[in-house]
Amino acid sequence: MQEPPVIIMKELCKFYEMGDQVVRALDSINLDFRKNDYAAIMGPSGSGKSTLMNIIGCLDTPTSGIYELNGQNVAEMNDDELALARNREIGFVFQTFNLLPRLNCLRNVELPLIYAGVPPEERNERAAEALRKVGLGDRMTHKPSELSGGQIQRVAIARALINKPSIILADEPTGNLDTATSHDIMNIFGTLSEVGNTIILITHEEDIARYTKRIIRLRDGKIESDSRK
Amino acid sequence: MKVPFRQFRYESVESLKMALFQIKANKTRSFLTALGVIIGIVSITMMGTAINGIDLGFEKSLSMLGYDVIYVQKTSWSTMGQWWRYRNRPDLKTLYAEQINRIITDNPRSELLLAVPQISTYQASARYHDRILEQVFALGTNGDYPATASGTLATGRFFTPGESAGDEMVGVIGDDVASGLFPNEPAVGKSIQIRNHRIRIIGTYRKQGKFLGLFSFDNQIIMPVGAFQKIYGKEMFITIRVKIRYQQRVEEAKEELLGIMRKIRRLPPGKEVDFSINEQKAFKSQLDPIKNGIAIAGIFITGMSLFVGAIGIMNITFVSVKERTREIGLRKALGARRQTILLQFLIESVMICLIGGFVGLLTSIIITFAIEKVIPDFPVRFSPDLVFASLGVSVITGIISGLAPAISASRLEPADSLRYE
Repeated sequence: MQEPPVIIMKELCKFYEMGDQVVRALDSINLDFRKNDYAAIMGPSGSGKSTLMNIIGCLDTPTSGIYELNGQNVAEMNDDELALARNREIGFVFQTFNLLPRLNCLRNVELPLIYAGVPPEERNERAAEALRKVGLGDRMTHKPSELSGGQIQRVAIARALINKPSIILADEPTGNLDTATSHDIMNIFGTLSEVGNTIILITHEEDIARYTKRIIRLRDGKIESDSRK
Repeated sequence: MKVPFRQFRYESVESLKMALFQIKANKTRSFLTALGVIIGIVSITMMGTAINGIDLGFEKSLSMLGYDVIYVQKTSWSTMGQWWRYRNRPDLKTLYAEQINRIITDNPRSELLLAVPQISTYQASARYHDRILEQVFALGTNGDYPATASGTLATGRFFTPGESAGDEMVGVIGDDVASGLFPNEPAVGKSIQIRNHRIRIIGTYRKQGKFLGLFSFDNQIIMPVGAFQKIYGKEMFITIRVKIRYQQRVEEAKEELLGIMRKIRRLPPGKEVDFSINEQKAFKSQLDPIKNGIAIAGIFITGMSLFVGAIGIMNITFVSVKERTREIGLRKALGARRQTILLQFLIESVMICLIGGFVGLLTSIIITFAIEKVIPDFPVRFSPDLVFASLGVSVITGIISGLAPAISASRLEPADSLRYE
């Protein structure tokens, strides 16, 4: 028997009002993600990638339609419930890394656990463990400014992993990295996928998308294609 | 219930750390921001110390009059300045003291203990060889006077009831008179000249200080009533000093004394009294409104500076929110709730204010200490209340000035703020 999908989207729409025009950023999206999916969302700029990522990441709510994350309807959540969902269900990896420059790697990685109410000793332990997983066991007390771009992104991945989220959501994770480093990062995602994580990444690079097992193409707010390897 | 509280605790600790980080990272900005609070707190606490000081000086002055002595006089202390109301009253007589004493010794349940006459003038001048003191307070009384007055003797002794009954020309002088007339020699045993009479000094008082900064107890020459009247005649200002049995029962004592005085003056019931019974409380009721006026005006004016400081903090916190929009977005993406962000910025502004408050407090403690050292008579006094009050005021200032920026930070949309450049 198959487990129910982690994410279910039905007739999901997101409209923005720009003056007297209505922009249909997402138009009747029907999409499921199962546990262990390793998917890339692709499309040219303006296709609705970022909007879709914001909605999947509970940073935004849809105008209409259903978005179920682990059986909960996100469209009906209030701000605090969305924050809780982001904290428990989603691990973010950003194109611009978004580490806090004043904190060292350990403190950056443990940040989600503070908002989850985890005691300090456990936070420390889990953050160290997550950093070891991404191969940065020897850089724990370094600050982001003392690391290379690839290392910084690995810290960000460790931060995304730390609260054992249902999905890891990566927005152009290699957009600011050179080819060799991008390859390293994608290998890490590959490994994470193999050990059972659900990963969705957003990219416009075919080379990057090729690492994944499923490619979803968007155009003008609609799904153009959805193919699995 | 337990997890949310723990979460709140961890978030607060995190916010506290971040606030310290921020303050350390922007030292100059934090200092300039805190300066507004520092100045505000210094001015408020200095005002507080001044009010405390006035209060203290006042209490000290009143205790010189004695809490257990009431005074029968021609005029009332509580309506000072309305001398015309008392102009036509008959003068008191020193004899009344004896009459009062006779009545109270006959009444074992009397609230009154002892009445002592006093006849005085502010206009005395005293001479010893070529040294002359003007505007000395000369006072005629009897041997019971020390029981009704503050002050202790530095040298010599007070005159005995025998000496006062015998109208002997002896006197006890205050410290200023002693040091003015006898700067390099002991006063006791010498004779000073008042008008055409000579008074032999038999004792000197220790320094006592001024009453409300106006009247000095150190500028007195105290002599027997008879001696005084030989020099100045009988037409001088007379006071009957009456010591009461219980400090707490001043009102009852005044009531009894009023009855006794009416009897002595033979005033029929219903007729208005032609004398006044005064106590130190009268000064308090006169001066309290003045003191409160100074306090209210002072706190209002100094409060303005704190208000300006608060606006400065609000401004800087708004700037800080703008600068850290991405950080706010990130924290929200990682699971920070609205109240978490709100708390973080509130803690930051409260922190700056508290640090400012501490620095301000320290500054005013140093200033107060310096004033006390340099000008010992200047009325300043620091109290623990002031410490709590000023730290409390700092926290409230921090909350008020941080609230609006913190709310705007907490309402930022996470998706937009993550993309903010």
